[in-house]
Amino acid sequence: MPDISSPVERRARADSSRRSAREIRRAKADRRFAWWLVWLYPPAFRRDVGLGLVDALDDRMRARRAAGVSSFGVRLPAIADTLANAAFEWIATIRRVRLKPDTTDETEPGRADHTAPVPVVSGFSRTRGDRTVTDKLMQDVRYAFRLWRRRPAFAAVAILTLALGVGANTAMFSIVNAVLLRPLPYPNADRLVSVFTKPQSANFRQGLVSYQEYEEIRRQSGAVESIGLYLGQSVNLTGSNEPQRLVGTFVTGTFFDVLGLKAERGRLFSEEDSAPGTVKPVVVLSHQLWRQRYNEDATAIGQTLTVNGTPLTIVGIMEPPFAMTQSPGDGYFIGGVDLFLPVALYPTPHGLRAAGGQLLSVGRLKAGVSFATANADLDLIGKRLLAADPKTQAGRQLTSESAHETVVGGSRTALVLLLAAVGVVLLIACVNVSQLLLARAIDRQKEIALRAALGASRSAVTRQLTVEAAMMAATATLLGFLLGRWALTGLAWLAPPAGGGLVPSVPIPTHVPLDSTVLLFTGGVAVIVAMLCGLAPALRSSRPDISRVLQAGFRRASSEGRRLRDILAVVEMALSVALVAVSALLIQSLLAVQQVPLGFDPSNVFTLQFRLPQSKYSKPEDIARFFKGAIENVRTVPGVQSAALVRAVPFSGNGGTVGYAVEGKPVPDPAQMPQARFHIVTPDYFKTMRIPLLKGRDFTDRDDLQTPLVSVISDSFAKRAWPGEDPIGKVFTTPQTVGPITVIGIVGDTKHYTATEAATPQLYAAHYQVPLIFSSLVARVSGPPMSITNDVKKAIWAVDKDQPVWTIRSLEAQVDATQGQSRFLALLLGIFAGVALVLAGVGIYGVTSYGVAQQTHEIGIRLALGASGDRVLREVVGRGARLTLIAVAIGLVAAVAMGRLASAVLFGVTPIDPTALAGAAVILGAVSLAACYIPARRASRVDPVVALAEE
Amino acid sequence: MALRPVEFHILLALAAEERHGYGLLQEVASLTDGELQLEPGTLYRALHRMLKDGWVAESARRPAADQDDERRRYYRLTPAGRRIASAEAERLWRLVSIARAHRLLSRA
Repeated sequence: MPDISSPVERRARADSSRRSAREIRRAKADRRFAWWLVWLYPPAFRRDVGLGLVDALDDRMRARRAAGVSSFGVRLPAIADTLANAAFEWIATIRRVRLKPDTTDETEPGRADHTAPVPVVSGFSRTRGDRTVTDKLMQDVRYAFRLWRRRPAFAAVAILTLALGVGANTAMFSIVNAVLLRPLPYPNADRLVSVFTKPQSANFRQGLVSYQEYEEIRRQSGAVESIGLYLGQSVNLTGSNEPQRLVGTFVTGTFFDVLGLKAERGRLFSEEDSAPGTVKPVVVLSHQLWRQRYNEDATAIGQTLTVNGTPLTIVGIMEPPFAMTQSPGDGYFIGGVDLFLPVALYPTPHGLRAAGGQLLSVGRLKAGVSFATANADLDLIGKRLLAADPKTQAGRQLTSESAHETVVGGSRTALVLLLAAVGVVLLIACVNVSQLLLARAIDRQKEIALRAALGASRSAVTRQLTVEAAMMAATATLLGFLLGRWALTGLAWLAPPAGGGLVPSVPIPTHVPLDSTVLLFTGGVAVIVAMLCGLAPALRSSRPDISRVLQAGFRRASSEGRRLRDILAVVEMALSVALVAVSALLIQSLLAVQQVPLGFDPSNVFTLQFRLPQSKYSKPEDIARFFKGAIENVRTVPGVQSAALVRAVPFSGNGGTVGYAVEGKPVPDPAQMPQARFHIVTPDYFKTMRIPLLKGRDFTDRDDLQTPLVSVISDSFAKRAWPGEDPIGKVFTTPQTVGPITVIGIVGDTKHYTATEAATPQLYAAHYQVPLIFSSLVARVSGPPMSITNDVKKAIWAVDKDQPVWTIRSLEAQVDATQGQSRFLALLLGIFAGVALVLAGVGIYGVTSYGVAQQTHEIGIRLALGASGDRVLREVVGRGARLTLIAVAIGLVAAVAMGRLASAVLFGVTPIDPTALAGAAVILGAVSLAACYIPARRASRVDPVVALAEE
Repeated sequence: MALRPVEFHILLALAAEERHGYGLLQEVASLTDGELQLEPGTLYRALHRMLKDGWVAESARRPAADQDDERRRYYRLTPAGRRIASAEAERLWRLVSIARAHRLLSRA
């Protein structure tokens, strides 16, 4: 029969059926949830009443939902109810099993037999039964507060100790989470890869790609869905009063596609706009530049910016990806970038297509493609390119890795190391507090026994101690969490600036985010802390032998709980020794790094960089003229002892290598050519940098474009190219230059990227023979280097007023910056070790001396019985010394193991370094022995009568 | 002997008729004018204890078909349970009488 209902009626029915479908789903979910909750109860309980409980929970949830409560409000009470009651059921089950292991169905002692008439007892003993569980817990909480108020120092010390540990862990984990665990802030981040060529030198992780390789991958690859190119460079902005330098990145249109970037306003440029041959003079601004320079004015679009001398039209503003500043490197590919420029505008001498490997690449894999498949695909494309053009593609292999790995891979070791360190600090703190609680529990034994004799359950004190430990953990966690987040803001100030080029720096984001992972971690830490702290006292307090304890004249025997206390003390000391020793190792390695001879003298040297705009300085003569004029002006600045230009300042992260072929020897295959570091310098460079000239001569102004090519080489180059011969006057060639190059001088080797690199051959060319548009100035100053900044700027602007200069810093600061990572690491570890040392020292001293003081009575007896004070003293200290030895031994073994783990970061120090290990052992051992000796000595001096009488 | 308040309330609730879990929760709430709102876990723990002591048992009989939910477990009072409840009620009555004698009770 046809449906005659109106559309309105039909829709209403559809709505209600849809609604109840949702309700049915929710009801099913609730019921399943109830099943899961009941599963938490002990098996016997579940067997007897489990089904009924599921029904009741389900009903309760349904009633709450009907009253309009949210899912959260419905589920939370159920969870809380289950956790509390299940816990009690489990405790009851365990107690039943322990008390009477052979009967499983025993009723609790004191309950009447259900067949006999029931006698009723009134009054006192029923107070226990009248209170509910919550009342008892509240009483424990109030009691703990009273205890804390009576001894505020104890509570404060314990909570602060734990808070320090928790805070450090929260902060460290937040960083680990932000850097290692969170994905990059781009859509489909798990499919992003960086595409690169296998590097020629061990100093680099990835080799650059060429435009042709990019085009081929785009055309041929079956695995890579989309690929883009990018390269960051500083660019000159002119047109306002002072020429300004901004951070630009040259990208293909596809770059935006790969990363899923969108325009906030206007548009981003397309592949056609950015490709060589069809390039348009356009530029896209970043959001922060738009805000800083244009105050977010919409009319910025369409305006012109003169970048590197070329006028470009602003076509759009980039929309920053969500949570960019909370991700590693602030988004890495676009972090800190001001301008996006078409890649074809990248300055190259003969155009982008002829420039070879110049660019970085990021791509997105097709869904479901594995990294291995992608690499095989890229390798194939590389081989095809090699077959088609063997000369240019010689030695180049294409490969890729996950983009996330590129960004964070280098920092993993350091971060894990730090996390382990803070974990150890927390452990030490917990052991400390545990010992404090344990000592208190032992003190209260008499009270426990009394209460037990009067009918209180033995579990009452265990419960109280557990509650106290939980309260301590909760307070400390809250406090520590706040401290930790606060410390993160301070961290940004301490941390080294990213860069220094090749030294992998930890890409900590500007704003370390607080997400559910961190909260979960903190919660977990709180639980562990509570368990660790409560465990020892709880173990102790459940077993007092009532009758013995209540005897008149019972004294706390010094052996009470000794085993447990000893174990705790040993653990604490071992942990501290390990942590302090490893920190000492690392700090030592840092010192070693700073003392490695660099080959030059970085003190009192001023540096700055510039790049000449290509359009203005297209002829080599113009470039040479500018630099000559600039150098001459700078040399006249008061305070400047000598000045020179160099292509790349050491430790700036810039530099290059070139292959070379020695004349008279067979020309090697271009792929196998020996490589040398390539520097371009003006005369006086070696004098400015105090690099020793070992033989021959420096460049002079006469070595210019008109004269034959000459070169100064480093000592290791000489030894490698002409072993046993005099290199002066010898000749070699490079693929990049036309004609032979004659050696005119030899200088000492220098370090260029890091203090710890292996010696590489270096060759220097004359600046006026190989004019480049980018260069750096170095000047040796008689006073503080930065004092001549303004004078130097004026000197340069006297030659060309539109030439911006940047990266103005002293060479010493530059060198320091590369060691920032190790120094930062060592600083943090030093702080942790210091904290651990203090905690451990106080803890060890406190507990050991407490234990010894406990023996006062015993010592008194022995003295009274005629033992000599010295003998007793020796015995007590001897025992302590034995424990100390064990602890130190364990700690040293752990330190060696940790040292092996850290050996990736260590330099110049073997993991088994006697000084560090001995130092840690000695310090902590001394503390421990002092803790034994001092109270023991005091006890042995005391009048035996007094000692005996002491309660 | 210790009769916890929760237990007494459950015994009271079962005195009139057999109930299932949720019904007990509702009845206890109504008996105390909304003051004692038990959670299922707490209720069933007490039920479990009383089952073991033999004061409460699962019911074999089912109520009328239209009110019955087949899967549900119903609980009833055992003779022992009835005795316990009476004893406790007696005890409370005696206390109330003393209170009344000392004019602590506002009602007559």
